[in-house]
Parts: sequence; C-alpha cells; structure tokens
Amino acid sequence: MKTFEEKWTAWLDDQLRGRELSEFEASLPDKAAAEAEKAEAKKLGELLKRELSAHSLANEEFFSHRLREKITRENRAAARASDRQTATSSRWTIPRLLWAGAASLAVFLIFTVAVMHEKNPAEESQYLTQILNARVDPVVSPNATVSMFEVKQDRVTVLWTEGLQSLPADYAAK
Amino acid sequence: MQTEATLAQSDVSELDLVKRCQAGETEAFDELVTRYRTRLFSMIYNMVHSEQDAWDLAQDSFLKAWKSIGRFRGQSSFYTWIYRIVMNVTIDWLRKKQVRGGGAEFDDAIQLTEVDPASKTVPKKEALPHEAMERDEIRGRIEKAIAQLSPEQRAAILMKEIEGMQYHEIAEALGCSIGTVMSRLFYARKKLQNLLRDVYENV
Repeated sequence: MKTFEEKWTAWLDDQLRGRELSEFEASLPDKAAAEAEKAEAKKLGELLKRELSAHSLANEEFFSHRLREKITRENRAAARASDRQTATSSRWTIPRLLWAGAASLAVFLIFTVAVMHEKNPAEESQYLTQILNARVDPVVSPNATVSMFEVKQDRVTVLWTEGLQSLPADYAAK
Repeated sequence: MQTEATLAQSDVSELDLVKRCQAGETEAFDELVTRYRTRLFSMIYNMVHSEQDAWDLAQDSFLKAWKSIGRFRGQSSFYTWIYRIVMNVTIDWLRKKQVRGGGAEFDDAIQLTEVDPASKTVPKKEALPHEAMERDEIRGRIEKAIAQLSPEQRAAILMKEIEGMQYHEIAEALGCSIGTVMSRLFYARKKLQNLLRDVYENV
C-alpha cells in the first residue's frame, strides 16, 4: 500500500498508470492546484538540471594520475601484507601446530613419568636382601646381628653387621 | 540518457572491464575511472558544494571501489554499484562534518521561513558580465537551498533530477526501499519549491 507521498511523487514523475492514476487523481481535492504544483515541480527539475549538471572536473588527467598512484601504493601494501601472511602461515600451518603440540605433550609426559618414577621410594636393595637372608640362616651364622641405619631423605642406608660368619655365595659385592 | 542498445553495449564492455579489474588489471580500472570521473565528481560537488572536498571524496570513492571490486557480482550495473559507494562516502562525510561543526545545517526541523527567498547569497563580482553574475547568484541560491536538505534527500533529488535515474536505481544506490526514495523526493521537492519558487518562476 503506497503512502500519499509515494503516490504524489509517482504522479509528478508520470509514473502512475491506469487504475492507480485515475484513483489518485479522483482523490485529489483540488485537481487544478495539483496540476499547478506538478508544473512547478517540472520547472524545479529543469532548473536543477540546467544549473547543476554542467560542473566539470578540472585537471581530469591529474585526477586519474593521482588515483593511479594511490592504487599502486595500495597494491604494494596489499602485496606486502599478503607476503607477511604467507610467511606466517607457512611457518605455522594448522597441521604443523598440531604436530608441535602433540610432540610437546609427549615430551612432557615422558619427562613427568621419568621424574615421578625416580621419586618413588627405592625398592629394597639386593645387597640388603642377601645380608638379611644370610643373617636368618642359623646354620651359616647363628650369632649374626644386623643393624640398619637409613636416611631416606639422603637415600643412604648403612648396614652394620656383627657375627656374620661368611658372606652369602651370591653376594653381589664379593 | 542512453538508448537501450547503447546501454546494453556499454554494459557488456563495462562488465568486461570489471572482470579485468577483478583480475588485477589497473588499466581496466583506469578506463572505468575515465568514464565516470566527471559525472561522479559533479554529483559529489552538488552534494558538498566545495571543489576540493568533492575532488578528495571522488578519489576516496574510486579507491574504495578498486579495493572492493572483487566483491562486485554484476547483480546491478557497475554505475549503480559505484554510485552506492560514492553516496556512502559522501553522506558519511556530510554527517561527520555536521557533527564536527556542531550545527544543524540540514536539520529537517529547520523552518522554511528561516531562509529569505530573496536574499543574496553570493557576493557580487564586479568583473563579471551581468548574465554571468546573475547565473552565479542563481547557482548560489540553489546550492544554499540544497544545503538545507538532509544528505539522503540531497542524494535522491540530485540522482533523480540531474542523473535521470529511476527509482529502483536510486534505491539501490542509497541502499533503501523504493518507497523511501519516493518519500525523500516528496519532501525534498516540497522544500526546494518553497525555497526556489521565485527563482524558477522568474528565470
């Protein structure tokens, strides 16, 4: 549904046709006044066209020359930006980023496992096991006593043995 | 105005030029600039009434067109497309100028009676012949009257009356509906008729 302003404009510009035209003209309260205003609008249009359409551009070639310079600068800047973009993207493509991330994670996990493994309390030394076995064998060493001093913080264990008749045959430090 | 045949012919070669521009050929763009520079400059000048500003705005518009020509899909004619860029650049500039100036140069609320239709707006230039002086005066009156319109109304009336564009072309160039264009034309004409009646009745 056109507003009055739209219909009026279309009527002034002779864009109303057929039934729409007849209906609009019939709705005008003063057809003569409307026709006078239409004539005025035509005169206004002619005045504007006559007075404003002939404004020429001075130094046309200089205008184009300046524009070419700006476009050349623009193209160079765009090319530089594109090069930078390419360089950056060739260094850090998405697959490369993924591989780098996965490798970093793997190194971290290996390091963590190694460190945690080292921090676990040391298993009982094979030497201690052998000495203890020797002590508890009453045939070999009936009066043997073994004292053990352990400083866990420094990871040092001192075995003090007395009455040990012989070292076990499989003693590693023999 | 161009006939349909010449329009179709020029549109075909224009499309070809656009495609070459999209392939990065600055020479093709140069050709388009040569075709439209005067029309666009004249249009901008009629909007801003300053040669230097119109020159700069025309340069900005063409540069913007070059940068975004890759996005031109040929759904409208090239000249409608570039008019849209020109209008955006110019209306934006006018709005910023209004904000910087803090004034209401084209406030629609300005009363028409604030402008004395008989006022002399251009100083007399003694060196010019009588007819040229009279013409300068008329032109000054017209520019002053157009300056009373909002940027959108200015654009609509100038594209309609000077460029002879159709409603749908103006709507495309201004990015609004045809109804809005017609409404802007209605108010622009009313205002200009009030301000310039004595001019067009006596010329």
